[in-house]
Amino acid sequence: MTNLTLLWIALPFLIGFLIYLLPRLDRPLALFGALVSVAYAAQLFIARSPINLRLLDHFGVSLLLDPLAGFFILTNGLVTAAVILYCWGSNKTPFFYAQTLILHGSVNAALACTDFISLYVALEVLGIATFLLIVYPRSDRAIWVGLRYLFVSNVALLFYLVGAVLVYKAHHSFDFVGLRGAPPEAVALIFLGLLVKGGIFVSGLWLPLTHSESESPVSALMSGVVVKAAVLPLVRCALLLEEIDPIVRIFGVGTAVLGVFYAVFEKDTKRILAFHTVSQLGFILAAPEVGGFYALTHGLVKAALFLIAGVLPSRNLKELQSQPMPTPLWIALAIASFSISGFPLLSGFGAKVLTMENLLPWQVIGMNIAALGTAISFAKFIFLPHKRQEATEGLALPSQSRSPLSVGFWAAMSLLLGGLVVASVVYYDAYSLENIVKPLATIALGWLLYWVIFRQLAIKLPRVLEEFDHLIGFMSLSLILLFWMALA
Amino acid sequence: MILEAFVFLTILLGFFGIIFKKNLVMKIISMDVMSTGVIAYYVVLAAREGLFTPIVADAQKGAYADPVPQAVILTEIVIGLSIQALMLTGVMKLAQNNPTLETSEIEKSDMP
Repeated sequence: MTNLTLLWIALPFLIGFLIYLLPRLDRPLALFGALVSVAYAAQLFIARSPINLRLLDHFGVSLLLDPLAGFFILTNGLVTAAVILYCWGSNKTPFFYAQTLILHGSVNAALACTDFISLYVALEVLGIATFLLIVYPRSDRAIWVGLRYLFVSNVALLFYLVGAVLVYKAHHSFDFVGLRGAPPEAVALIFLGLLVKGGIFVSGLWLPLTHSESESPVSALMSGVVVKAAVLPLVRCALLLEEIDPIVRIFGVGTAVLGVFYAVFEKDTKRILAFHTVSQLGFILAAPEVGGFYALTHGLVKAALFLIAGVLPSRNLKELQSQPMPTPLWIALAIASFSISGFPLLSGFGAKVLTMENLLPWQVIGMNIAALGTAISFAKFIFLPHKRQEATEGLALPSQSRSPLSVGFWAAMSLLLGGLVVASVVYYDAYSLENIVKPLATIALGWLLYWVIFRQLAIKLPRVLEEFDHLIGFMSLSLILLFWMALA
Repeated sequence: MILEAFVFLTILLGFFGIIFKKNLVMKIISMDVMSTGVIAYYVVLAAREGLFTPIVADAQKGAYADPVPQAVILTEIVIGLSIQALMLTGVMKLAQNNPTLETSEIEKSDMP
């Protein structure tokens, strides 16, 4: 089992480099690499016994693979596979597929490790691979967005490194458990790094621009899996140390509310989705015990939504309201939106119920507001107009409606949405009357608010906090906040 | 103690440089200053208990330095170098259309 695990970690990198040598086989090889992760995650669920590896001595690499990590790895595998299928018919170069697989491998590594230095290395590799994917179009805007991402993440990780060495100073080991007994500044510095990388609360305001300005497949990868590579370590720390648990839960509620607050006022499809990612990460953190399942459903839904947003004729909701989309596309969009709002029969429902059941009493109000905000922001998608395919044929949707709705797009959609339906059986205990009524009431209230208030509303929130200097400056404020939280 | 204070001062100076310098290249150099500070902190902490390189030899010269932080920080140096290289390549491309390389100007033209 040990050898298999090590092989699984190394395989995506090997395939990534192999793609350079055999550029003709880029797509099949990349798909194979993603499917290996899916198989490995399935095996983790079947085996049930966690694998705990400790390579070298107590200061070496340590890995932990349990069903919690399995959920995240499964997300990673499915989303990567879907993105590769989506790009199958496009003219992406082998470089793109190689970077996708290297990104996939670094996310796997970050999910598996339980010591701060391996995590650091995995997060840095992930940052570089993401940067290369963002700048793939090589336009000025793409380069700036990529540079901004790399800069913010690298500065955050420098703080993180100082925290890591403080943990080492206290325990002569880099293990996650070393956070217990480490000085409060170590907790603050490490959490700052992870919060920024994970795009959580005010530290995560770099995320909306990065995720909305990238190409759709890259946005799907970033929102679906990349941010989760830093969220799982936060969840793990919360589960390992009960004194960390309240900090993680507070940030969970904070980011859930902040994200939907921006999302309900936004008029741009991809920015709604990006702000919504900020919010959904909060649901994962708010109940760390069951965060894995939520991460799986959110990853699948968000990847599907970003891929759909990529083939819509416009990004502006106003234009979309006057320009009907083909009905099949609308059905896919509606399934994904219903799942994320927590509608029964889809896995988003089970995940929401599970999370709500594991909240502490003081979190309930915040999370219900966030759930309501989710329903409002996705009402914007559900109530978009649509038309039958043959009716739109003659209309003014020439190239866009035909080419991207290819076999690859539908293969990716069936993988992601099928995954949602299959995953809904994981937690079938959720189907009690009370549990069903509550989300339905939330959705109904959300839709009502959407029709009464938010549909006409045209408030543009200032984007000053998303400017580069403020992103860096906010790190110092977050650091002070975290320090006092760790001290308390 | 004094060494540690200077190391933290380096980290802080680098951090403030990133915020207050307007030019993108200067920001990248400030980031390098900051990462130099972090590297120095690892080295200072490694040398808390001894200064000699931990190499097995016949004659023991004195207390050894801790090899683990030094080994770890080597990784950071390599990663930092590659990130700098990547960033400067990106800056070269950006400089063609934004000759001043001031981030506020770039944001104005490249933020939707």
